[in-house]
Amino acid sequence: MAERSLIDHLDDAVTAIIARRDADLAADDTDIASLAQVARELRGLPGESFKTKLRTELIRRGTMSSPKMKVDPIPKGYPTVSAYLCFSDAPAAIEFYKKAFGAEERMRLAEPSGKIGHAELKIADAVIMLSDEYPDYGALSPQTLGGSPVKMHLWVDDVDAFARQALAAGASMVRPIEDQFYGDRSGQIADPFGYTWIVSTRKEDVSPEEMQKRMDAFAQQQPGEGATQDEAPKQSSATYKREGFHTVTPYLTVEKAPELIEFMKQAFGATEIFRTTGSAGGLHAELRIRESMIMVGGGPGIKEMPTAIHLYVPDVDTVYERALQAGATSLFGPADQPYGERSGALVDPSGNHWYVATTFDTSEWPEELRTVTIYFHPIGAPRMIEFLKNAFGAEELARHQSDEGYVYHAKVRIGDSIVEMGEARDPSQPMPTAIYLYVEDVDAMYERSLKAGGTSVLPPTDQPYGDRNAWVNDPFGNVWYLAATIGKTGQ
Amino acid sequence: MAGARLRLSRVNESEERLLIEAAQSDPGRFAELYEQNFNCVYAYIARRVHDRSETQDLTSHVFHQALANLGKFKWRGTPFVAWLYRIAANAIADHARRKGRKLATDAVPASDNPAATDLEDCERRARLFNAVDKLPEDQRRVIVLRFADEKSIREIADEIGRSEGAVKQLQFRGLENLRARLSDEF
Repeated sequence: MAERSLIDHLDDAVTAIIARRDADLAADDTDIASLAQVARELRGLPGESFKTKLRTELIRRGTMSSPKMKVDPIPKGYPTVSAYLCFSDAPAAIEFYKKAFGAEERMRLAEPSGKIGHAELKIADAVIMLSDEYPDYGALSPQTLGGSPVKMHLWVDDVDAFARQALAAGASMVRPIEDQFYGDRSGQIADPFGYTWIVSTRKEDVSPEEMQKRMDAFAQQQPGEGATQDEAPKQSSATYKREGFHTVTPYLTVEKAPELIEFMKQAFGATEIFRTTGSAGGLHAELRIRESMIMVGGGPGIKEMPTAIHLYVPDVDTVYERALQAGATSLFGPADQPYGERSGALVDPSGNHWYVATTFDTSEWPEELRTVTIYFHPIGAPRMIEFLKNAFGAEELARHQSDEGYVYHAKVRIGDSIVEMGEARDPSQPMPTAIYLYVEDVDAMYERSLKAGGTSVLPPTDQPYGDRNAWVNDPFGNVWYLAATIGKTGQ
Repeated sequence: MAGARLRLSRVNESEERLLIEAAQSDPGRFAELYEQNFNCVYAYIARRVHDRSETQDLTSHVFHQALANLGKFKWRGTPFVAWLYRIAANAIADHARRKGRKLATDAVPASDNPAATDLEDCERRARLFNAVDKLPEDQRRVIVLRFADEKSIREIADEIGRSEGAVKQLQFRGLENLRARLSDEF
């Protein structure tokens, strides 16, 4: 059979098959017969549009039914309430919480730049949600806002070990870990991003009634700090100090304040808590290094008052290198000292001296000292110690001196803080410095310091930033800003 | 034998199991199971119900039922398509009852194991339908228009803008190709 007629013949067969008249097809040609068999089986071939349409229907229904079938209105693994924190550098914050708190990153939605739109951390059974700053959505970090009114509370198994780990990772101690009357051992630590964490381990179960009793007793026992001989204090012990501050805060007065702030951040991991520029162009800033505060002030043309600071760090060699990279020059490199610490000394670009030290002891710093301690180098240290006793009710804790009365090293307590002192000698020239000193009663302390030999620069005055201040110069060239908060800590 | 061949002609068992589990947790992923099994189900129904629109309605019903009840499907080692055939068989029986008559079930050859032969035949048709998708485009189009849409040579010629002779030629080549592909598989 010619192909032409074969094709026509097959089509006849196909037409019959489609019309279901194929029963009596003559199968006289095996080629045609086998093709007709294929055609017969093709009779049930589905139409294209039907298959596509049904597919679309099913996908729509499947997708729509997904949430109804599977979604739990409160997703598993989430507590009802979670903190949602905002950071100026969320990726750094996540890294910090992993190291400091052992947090686990559960999810992260990031922009191509790495900026985090949403991330979730798990700390034990708690979920912390967080993002970078999105000012258009009202997401602003504590650094932008100048602090956070909200603190987080964390229960941990071993609060001391937890705090040690957090401090090593760069947190700072705001309130030391102590046994509390309500049965917990707890303290407060600040992360480098402006949030404060209360960390606690329960030691004793105490009923609320018993807590109230203990609180009343505790309040009665507090005589009030400071050395004023006034009548019973009207305020509780710490309300004259701003939150996070101790009695003594060094006030570094320099021409290039922004540069110094940057140096302290780079070299020592300082956190800028607050910065303002006055109408005359003067800058005032407050930085935290771990649990200690440092104030920085100044501007072009100001009389610089470089200060010597004893700075305890977890690893002196690392910090020393960082400080050099940040622009400091070396006084002497890290070396083991006979008095139980390894220390090095540097001068920052503004002329402040930093004695950086790590104790051999397992503790973070010597028991009574903090991360930051002012180190005075007066001419005539014994006289200055007398002045501090008379003016501020200071207490002499230790003094090492030669037979001729030359003071190598002394420790003096003022309020809840300690200052150190060593007679001025090369390379430690006299370094008159500025000190912000929180006292319970500015007026009384002002009078007392004048009687002890101080010179008044500014009598007690209420300041718009919420402190009552007086300004007294001592006979050794140091400037004392006496201060007490008056009402809210508004800045 | 039939069972073995059923499995061979399809995705392997563990792949199918993954597809089912994926669709059970996310019904939006049912599309993959649909693609895998559409031709088999359609062939199974078309073999019993000779009316095209009834075949479509029943096929649609089977897949909607399968989607709605997917959560109840439990893996017992039998292919997923067997579950779909059972839904289809029930649907066809219901459909017949509603129509008040027994459906013609022609062309089911007698066998010791009618169910197995039946499924084998469906599989063969499903493979044929799959083979249609792989034909050269002009042949595929003619075969689909001719057999699925049941159009005449003249209608197809008008639709695709070719002569009637050319359409017959494409139909011939298409059927030859399909015959060759089917025999390749066995």
